[in-house]
Amino acid sequence: MTTQRQKDWHDLIALSALEPGDATPVSFRGRELAVYDSRDGIFVSYARCTHGAANLCDGYFDGRNIECPLHQGLFQVRTGKALAAPAGVNLRMVEARVVGGMVQILF
Amino acid sequence: MSAKVLTPITQALEAGVLTRRELKQCMRRSNTRGLAHAVGFLGLIAATGWLVHLAMAGWWLLPAMFLHGVVLVHLFAPQHECVHYTPFRSRWLNDLVGNLCGFAIMLPHQHFRYEHCDHHTYTQLPGQDPELIPLPQSLSGYLWYLSSIPYWRNKFTELPRHIAGRLTEEEKRFIPAPARPVIFREARLMALAYLAILAACAVFDWWAPVFYWWLPVLLGEPVMRAIRVTEHMGRPTIRDMQVNTRTNLVSWPWRFLCWNMNYHAEHHYAASVPFHALPALHAKIAGHVHVEPGGYLGAHIDIIRQLTGRKPRMDSATAEEAA
Repeated sequence: MTTQRQKDWHDLIALSALEPGDATPVSFRGRELAVYDSRDGIFVSYARCTHGAANLCDGYFDGRNIECPLHQGLFQVRTGKALAAPAGVNLRMVEARVVGGMVQILF
Repeated sequence: MSAKVLTPITQALEAGVLTRRELKQCMRRSNTRGLAHAVGFLGLIAATGWLVHLAMAGWWLLPAMFLHGVVLVHLFAPQHECVHYTPFRSRWLNDLVGNLCGFAIMLPHQHFRYEHCDHHTYTQLPGQDPELIPLPQSLSGYLWYLSSIPYWRNKFTELPRHIAGRLTEEEKRFIPAPARPVIFREARLMALAYLAILAACAVFDWWAPVFYWWLPVLLGEPVMRAIRVTEHMGRPTIRDMQVNTRTNLVSWPWRFLCWNMNYHAEHHYAASVPFHALPALHAKIAGHVHVEPGGYLGAHIDIIRQLTGRKPRMDSATAEEAA
């Protein structure tokens, strides 16, 4: 029988430290995360492309979708959905919120 | 989490060559810039096509078709850009233009996209880079490649293979199973369209596609082969992006024709940077990529020197030797 680990909110990065309107790479407990300052709000995902494992923070971000810098696969940052080939597997998202000017994640 | 993947971009960022913000500045997309270049390019095609028309009954028909063909085969350049979704801000516009260009030069766009993905992942690695053009063993092998005969032989076997629903073992490596029906459908649609045009030529005794399109493309392709070999041929067959790709400094007409893809090392560093920002990226990462100041001609001299033994062959060189 497995037990579910209790998740807690953790400070990740100050809102003021984010790249405005872009993706910011952040390391959390050895994991590479991407924080998106999107037109729909702040979202956080694992940073590596599910296709070629390039860091998505180095890719083109149009405010809603992030493009892989290596092969230009496309992901929606609100849901992590893979929108265009060669990416076929959705991004792993991390639940996030903003409290007191700080981006927090549920981890 | 998978092991760290060192993309050319991360290589550049970690080396401090440029900042992420500078890189993002270069990545900005613009429909206006892309469409302006496309209109100019189409104007050039119309102009050289008009020359073919004027020459139709004269002795200079062949030179006119060659000139027109040199422009037509450069449709590869916008198609290549569209594979990376960079010339236009709208993704659908990149898909549309890429597919049209691919149809014009018989380079199926979806197939090229998957092949090109592996070219960027495994640039210059023998057995892994599907676009690697090996340094020939002799001068005759080099001339044979430039003749375009091997290229067209490959294209004219590739299309029927895909129509028949088959892939080579190499293609199976870079085309994932879910994408294979797309590749086969694309080949069938292209072949149908070519056959329909050919049938129209025969039925209506209308041979414009032959004189304004197919023959010029065949005549112009050796020029495209000569340009494509300058990108990587004769550079070390190793992963290091600082040495395995050439940037060729060429004059404005060539830069216009190839949509700045002469800045090829910069393109490999950051494939998400659109053609109009490549000169700026070139200025930013100067000294960190291999630049051939003699342009296309200089690259060919370099290749020929290696083929004739006046310079060590670079296909077995290490990064240190290449530097």
